[in-house]
Amino acid sequence: MVKMKYLLVGVLMVIIGIVLVVTVLPSEEKRVKKRFHLLSDWVSKSPEENSLTMLQKMKDIGTLFLEPCQLKAQGDSLSGSYTRQEISAYASSARSHFFEIDFKFYDLRIAFPEKEVAKATLTARLTGKLKTGEQVDEIRELDCLMKKVDRKWFFSQIEAIEVLKK
Amino acid sequence: MFLIRIFLVSLFAYLFFGFLCIPFTIQGISMEPTYPDGGVNFCWRLRYLFSEPERHDVVAVRFAGSRVMLLKRVVAREGEQVEFRAGRLYVNGREIEEPYVHFPCNWNLPTRRVEKDCVYVVGDNRSMPIESHHFGQTSRVRIMGRPLW
Repeated sequence: MVKMKYLLVGVLMVIIGIVLVVTVLPSEEKRVKKRFHLLSDWVSKSPEENSLTMLQKMKDIGTLFLEPCQLKAQGDSLSGSYTRQEISAYASSARSHFFEIDFKFYDLRIAFPEKEVAKATLTARLTGKLKTGEQVDEIRELDCLMKKVDRKWFFSQIEAIEVLKK
Repeated sequence: MFLIRIFLVSLFAYLFFGFLCIPFTIQGISMEPTYPDGGVNFCWRLRYLFSEPERHDVVAVRFAGSRVMLLKRVVAREGEQVEFRAGRLYVNGREIEEPYVHFPCNWNLPTRRVEKDCVYVVGDNRSMPIESHHFGQTSRVRIMGRPLW
């Protein structure tokens, strides 16, 4: 009876251990998702955001990207190869036109085609209000290529999927 | 027994409205006056399971993820040549009658051939400049179905 009790406690501890490992320790997928959450947080802007927070966010955004990072969007002047500084500067310039921004990712699907390479397909939605008062609501499907360098995931390529080709 | 019934009805509703007959609200004016802004409809996913979209069919095109769709009208199929001349649609050099277009249109678009496994879709409301309207060739696999009405 005592042996049975110890056996049950042992099995229970093993199960709890497995659950803890699975939930607490971040998997590669969770690490990749975390980068998207950071990008979402740093691009988003509340009306109360002060200059110091804005400067910090702009500095931080660049750190999410590999150097150089490729941006691809059909028929968009934004397409090209960018350094971290250029991305930060572009984000800063774009954000300055907005009074408020809410940038969110949905339908995030992540695959690992090679070691230390992740491919993510997702829906990006940017809603906000321009300083001119105009409301903005833009949605795009994106393909992102991410690479792992020094145990951190970085955006290496972001491509906006062209659904309709004129 | 009652709980089992509730469970089965919920499961059926989830599968039916989640995967076969997806409810959606229309945002935007690109399909006016056929489908006005703010209207509600359902996307019937099985419509093109065994058939291909025909010219003049209204289809739901998957735009992003599984929740964002574009409602457009098929005007040409793969291999056909499409063009707009002074707001009139021409397919393979022949003018196509479009009784569903009610607003004035002055679009001009040079001829282009619809690629393999693609269809060419346009909205019914072409009163805006051609640059402001989302239309063009899209892959057949992006067509999710058609609206119920």
